[in-house]
Amino acid sequence: MIALQVRRLAVYLVLAFTVVSLALSWWQVIDAPALAARPDNPEVIVARRTMPRGSIFDLRGNVLASSRLVNGISTRTYPDSSFTHLIGYASLRFGTTGLERVWDDILIGQTDPNPVNDIVDDVLGREPQPRDLTLTVDQRLQDFAAAQLGPDIGAVVALDPRTGAVLAMTSTPTFDATPISGDPATAGRAMNQIENQPGNALVPRDRQGHYTPGSIMKVVTAAAGLETGSITPQTTFPDQPQQEVEGFVVDGFRILEHNLSPVQPALWALSEALQVSSNIFFAHVGLEVGAEAYLDEARAFGFCSGLSIGDPDRALPVAPSYVTTPQDDDCSPFQDRAELAQASFGQGRVSVTPVQMALVAATIANDGVMPQPYVVRDVRTHASRPVRGPSDQVLETMSPPGGSRVVSSSTATQVRYAMVDAVEGPLGRLYAGAGAVSNFGVPGVRTAGKTGTAELGPGQEPHSWFIGFAPAQGSATPAIAVAVIVEGGGSGSGRAAPIGGAVMAEWLKILGSGG
Amino acid sequence: MLLPLLILLPIGFAATNIYRTASADPGPMILAAIYIVMMLSAHFVLVASGNRGDPLLLPLVAAIGGVGLVMLNRLAPDLGTTSAFGLNMNVAETQLLWFAVGLLAMLTVAIGLRDDRFLRHYKYTWALAGIALLIFTFLFGTEVNGARLWIYLGPIGFQPTEFIKIVLVLFIAGYLAEHRALLRDASLRLGPIRVPPLPYLLPMLAIFVLVMLVVVVSKDLGTALLFFGIFLIMLFVATGRRSYVLIGLLLFLAGSFVASRLFEHVARRVDAWLDPFADPSGAGYQTVQALYAFGRGGLFGEGLGQSLLPTAGGRFFGVETDFIFAVIAEELGVIGACGLLALTMALVFRGLRVGILARDDFSAMLAVGLTVSLGLQTLIITAGIVKLIPLTGITFPFVSYGGSSLLASFIIVGLLLAISHRSAVADEREGRGP
Repeated sequence: MIALQVRRLAVYLVLAFTVVSLALSWWQVIDAPALAARPDNPEVIVARRTMPRGSIFDLRGNVLASSRLVNGISTRTYPDSSFTHLIGYASLRFGTTGLERVWDDILIGQTDPNPVNDIVDDVLGREPQPRDLTLTVDQRLQDFAAAQLGPDIGAVVALDPRTGAVLAMTSTPTFDATPISGDPATAGRAMNQIENQPGNALVPRDRQGHYTPGSIMKVVTAAAGLETGSITPQTTFPDQPQQEVEGFVVDGFRILEHNLSPVQPALWALSEALQVSSNIFFAHVGLEVGAEAYLDEARAFGFCSGLSIGDPDRALPVAPSYVTTPQDDDCSPFQDRAELAQASFGQGRVSVTPVQMALVAATIANDGVMPQPYVVRDVRTHASRPVRGPSDQVLETMSPPGGSRVVSSSTATQVRYAMVDAVEGPLGRLYAGAGAVSNFGVPGVRTAGKTGTAELGPGQEPHSWFIGFAPAQGSATPAIAVAVIVEGGGSGSGRAAPIGGAVMAEWLKILGSGG
Repeated sequence: MLLPLLILLPIGFAATNIYRTASADPGPMILAAIYIVMMLSAHFVLVASGNRGDPLLLPLVAAIGGVGLVMLNRLAPDLGTTSAFGLNMNVAETQLLWFAVGLLAMLTVAIGLRDDRFLRHYKYTWALAGIALLIFTFLFGTEVNGARLWIYLGPIGFQPTEFIKIVLVLFIAGYLAEHRALLRDASLRLGPIRVPPLPYLLPMLAIFVLVMLVVVVSKDLGTALLFFGIFLIMLFVATGRRSYVLIGLLLFLAGSFVASRLFEHVARRVDAWLDPFADPSGAGYQTVQALYAFGRGGLFGEGLGQSLLPTAGGRFFGVETDFIFAVIAEELGVIGACGLLALTMALVFRGLRVGILARDDFSAMLAVGLTVSLGLQTLIITAGIVKLIPLTGITFPFVSYGGSSLLASFIIVGLLLAISHRSAVADEREGRGP
């Protein structure tokens, strides 16, 4: 009869039911924390409405965001608008942005930093508890950087090159996130006002702004040249003095020096070329490296793909920076040698974020290892009175996420010497602005850096850029690396470099005064 | 065996009411009481009529249906009432009415069907009636949610596919029982490959393809998958050839692929299945919300009445039908949901046992086919909700809200009872114990 087949069928059906049960268990137990973290989960929406939300503190315990219940609805206050683009907002009407979005489930207590506790809470039926965050950012430095930018449009990103800790990250213009997070009715009006302001205040320029880098890209080109062995610090290009006068023609495209040189054309090597910021020298370097190798070196620095702040499963996204035209989440190949030559001095189709350029500076500062940036220092139990500072009970401390080697130690050291010269060398002082960066009143400290003046086209004031790090003498390990952009700020030495120098000096003063 | 129901059902009702009213009041028990009385009465009627059918079938059905009724009672306030026959009834009350109708149908079939000859001899008539019903549905049916499944007679809508499923099993069982030996033994050889004896399969294939065509054209993909699965499994049971199933599965995958290229709504379903989070508020909405419900439920569940799924986005469509399993998993956890699956599996086992003990090929094939239709339907809808396969709109037998599904499922149980009764009686006559 058919008994045998039916018994076989029974086994198959048991298998099928088992597979369904396993899939069910996957969603209900294993993947449950990830599902609970998604902002459109009704559980998250309900919890956000009624539950107290954890506070956010700066490095020293100052309140940056805190909530209290007003008429049973969680209402959030942000006292310092220089943090708006980093922290974002948690709005009943507009959802969440920034760290409020990335850390949403922890802040409202939907998931615990330790997944085991989630299961324990589930078994015991315990109510979720909100958690507080402490950032790596020091409010004093953040406010100082925002004040330096003043009414200008731009961004400052400051990192600890050794750990990747974000020390300051601010973008102007900014806005007050408190009214957006409050009563949904008035939140709409507040949002309208912000949208109608000039300058597009909603954009976090530090992470999402795309800018032509100009001469700060020469740091990447120098590193690529040394790393690939295409140049040494002594390499010169014999045709260069003549080309400085006539222009350097690559595939029919004529490269001219943009800076009307205060010095005579000469046979420059790397240090002098970086000091006078010679476009033609770095065009030569880029062409020596070659199109594919140049792209590979840029990719190693983080170009051509999205960066993130924080470890991958809880990362604040950073828009990708590109050396060429974006294509399939990557950089397209260079179209021709002219495009490569222009990219080598930061023009052409290069487009970068301030975070990316701060990481370039941090990589050179950190001996060629690019640190993975992070901004949340620890997770703590919820402090019921945030003004008194965070609670003592730390649930999880984030260790620096580590980094990846981009260039060799010797390449990093050689670029570092050139960047010190670019600020402090005899020619560099002329370009970086005499005393603007180096002479900031911290005795015995040397600074490395590079200015950039991103040409945008006729009739448009160029963007002013600076990247750098300090202290940079001898074998000292730099404590801070910065990137500064001021939109339409003119020359790099005129606007961005003094801000960069001042921010680094302020941080060294804070460190010197015992933190 | 029906006794646990006496305790569990009132507890379920009480828990729901206690949570809803935030008081210690267990609330009205009238629906639970009626349900228990109905099940017990049906059981006694079966016993009194001398039915010697499988004694576990009805208790298992009562347990599974009880879980469904507790959930519908819990969902009723979220869904509101509909009026039928001048009465305002919520989903639990309507479902209870259908339970009554279903039990009556089950008893009629179980007790009344003393002879199965008219079932097996008129298989082509059954098949043609089924196809006629399908075409009628396709021409005059009402489209709900992208698939043309419903026929409305005044205020009552019914889903003909639920009944066509039974008719199809009848036909295939009749055909396979008649031609089983030929199909199993005769084969053509094409080199090393053994090919099924096509001429013998042709009449069945022809009717089957016709059914599939209509179902597919009316865009009812879940039913198409169910019918195809039933067909393959019955073919496997009759012949013992895994190659038939493999060839069939390959054909089905190829057909699905072509369909996903040809029909936009199939392609959308497949996309929503592969990555529901790509469009979590649009095409992937239902899948994503069901996954959230699973995540909230965890190991032990949130407790009765605490699911957020029914009110997600205001009112979640299909929460009482296709997605009732997600609500169960959210409120009763992995434990409760797997318990329900285990009950269904137990029911399937008893049904397959009826097939093994049957005295003739037709009865055996019929019992297996009907049982598989219940089991496979449960697998398809649950596997769809847990994102193992693309989501399709079919019901969870005995659990989902819906009169057609309930009535058809009870008719299936009635047929299983009748078959097992006949084999028990025959065994006894020959002096063999059950």
